[in-house]
Amino acid sequence: MERVIVAMQDPDMGVKMRNQRLLITVIPHAMTGNDVIEWLIQKYNITEEEARHLGGLLVQYGYIYPLRDPRSLLLRSDDSPYRFQTPYFWTSSRWPASELDYAIYLAKKNIRKQGELVDYEKENYSILHKRINHTWDFVVMQAREQLRASKQRRKADRIVLECQEQAYWLINKPCVNMPLYYHYTTTIQLRYYYYTTIIHRRALGRNRVKSSICLESFMKYSEQYLHHDPIMSGCLPSNPWISDDTAHWTINTDMVGTPTRLRVERWSFSFMELLNDSMGRREFMIYLEKEFSAENLCFWVACEDLRHGESSKIILKVEEVYKNFLAPGAARWVNIDSKTMERTLEGIKRPHRFIMDDAQMHIYFLMKKDSYPRYLKSELYKNMLAKAIVPQETKKSVFPFMRRQRHSSPSPAMVTQATEDDGKAKGAGPTGTSSTTNSQI
Amino acid sequence: MDGVLLSKLKNQIKKDSECKTMLDALNKVTACYRHLVIALGSTSDSQNLREELKKTRKKAQELAVANRNKLTELLKDKTTSKDDRAEYERLWVLFTSSMELLEVDMKRSLEIGQEFPLKVPTRHLIQTGMTGSTTTVAARAMSVQNMKYDADSNIDTADLKELQAEITQVGQMMEEMEMKVQVAPWAVEAKQEAGAELKSTLSVGNSSVGVISICEEDARSCPGDENCCVCIPNGTDSPYSPLL
Repeated sequence: MERVIVAMQDPDMGVKMRNQRLLITVIPHAMTGNDVIEWLIQKYNITEEEARHLGGLLVQYGYIYPLRDPRSLLLRSDDSPYRFQTPYFWTSSRWPASELDYAIYLAKKNIRKQGELVDYEKENYSILHKRINHTWDFVVMQAREQLRASKQRRKADRIVLECQEQAYWLINKPCVNMPLYYHYTTTIQLRYYYYTTIIHRRALGRNRVKSSICLESFMKYSEQYLHHDPIMSGCLPSNPWISDDTAHWTINTDMVGTPTRLRVERWSFSFMELLNDSMGRREFMIYLEKEFSAENLCFWVACEDLRHGESSKIILKVEEVYKNFLAPGAARWVNIDSKTMERTLEGIKRPHRFIMDDAQMHIYFLMKKDSYPRYLKSELYKNMLAKAIVPQETKKSVFPFMRRQRHSSPSPAMVTQATEDDGKAKGAGPTGTSSTTNSQI
Repeated sequence: MDGVLLSKLKNQIKKDSECKTMLDALNKVTACYRHLVIALGSTSDSQNLREELKKTRKKAQELAVANRNKLTELLKDKTTSKDDRAEYERLWVLFTSSMELLEVDMKRSLEIGQEFPLKVPTRHLIQTGMTGSTTTVAARAMSVQNMKYDADSNIDTADLKELQAEITQVGQMMEEMEMKVQVAPWAVEAKQEAGAELKSTLSVGNSSVGVISICEEDARSCPGDENCCVCIPNGTDSPYSPLL
């Protein structure tokens, strides 16, 4: 629209300008509604109806304002006078009308009209007076100064100024009843404060542990894992990075036949350790099947899959989980308390990634408190521990002058293949017996 | 003893009134600056207007810095009484409101200035009906009798870069102010009640700027008719006159 307006200004091709005569004062740059419509028709080669519509928009958005009957924002196709609005007062979403400015305008009008404001203006005035009361002195000060400044102009210009302002506020006055048009910087400030408050509240609500307590548990953790840390306690048979012997990796693969002792020991440290190790999980599953509570672990695994899986499959997975584990009479029905079950069933109506979290947590704790300790005491576990291997440490090279062969170690991805090769590796012990013996379940 | 107290009081009053005068001045310049920005892009626009904008703006910034320093000094002083502190907070709110208006007007003048360059073969300034010059407004802002114009002819483009830098400066200053000075603006109570502007009292402080005859001419003329689009100074003009 702004381009149209600018095009209208062209001295040769623009809209025909006339003078507005107010008894004594003559103000230039007025035009009739008809002029505008004619010009639009000619310039853009459109029909009269379109031109009227376009012209009407120009008035509604405040680029042109009527000089007669200013409250009626229509473009009349007769000789009603109109004038262009100054760029400062063009409606723009970048510069929304602020309450402060509106208040200043009302104060100015109040002064000019000696208190004779229109009804809705009086209302707005008192609402604003309450709402931005803290800056009301400023409103009064500015109103007075702005009026004094405009007194410096000559009369014709002053009249135009007043018309312009009035036209602007007729269109743009902020809806004072609903706090939509806040003073824009106030909005930014408010938002900033709002979010900072949220952040701080959250921080306040966090659980805090005394450092004496958490340091103790940190100590315990360090002690427990000391022997499992390859840097602190060295790794057996030898550190692949130093000796170029990949035995360490081979014997610690996911589904190796015989796990190392350290690995099996770790399963007893925490339930999560057991679950995170795929072999551990498999062993645990075997145990649960014996106890006829394998559905718990299956459920947990299915929920993990849901949480970490593809978004597109979420709805499908939720349905399956429901069918297999939660529906009454399901094949692998899990025992969840009624409240959680209710909530989950409600949530299933609007499935999302985390809908099973509550139920999953319930089952997790069930397993952790019940099945897990029993597993650790079970024969199955003890056998595993007994069977576990402890690789021998490689003997260091006897010949100090022998140069180590430098070749790139095969990547762990190829370790399963290299299992065969490592039969030749120094002192790698029972690697040869690895993948062939134990049956994979 | 008395002498010391007396001189302290005198000092205090002097500080206060300095503060208020400076705030008045800033307020005046803000109003004038807005007035000038309104004329940008219209047929009142000209080389001179651009120069006036530049000068007024610089003056506003000087005043802003001076005000800020003074007020922060007053607010940082822990020995002020509660009443005094409340008063300083009120002044602070007046100051920040002024700065907010200034900042917005500066940004708008940048935008409009860019849209309406003066040194083009065909100017497309909007014909708003305003044709007079704004030199008296600027003179009022600068507190001089007559404005002197000495800018280069490419001021409309050259000034814009400076303007951009100044806008950033002002923004930074305001952020700094907010962080450093602990004033809760919503806790401030205005001294003026609703409708206070109708009385002829003047500025925020104790300086009187003479009697304002703001719109005495306007007072009687408005026929109270809602359709009257403008309050015309000498009552006899009617806006419903035919166009020539």
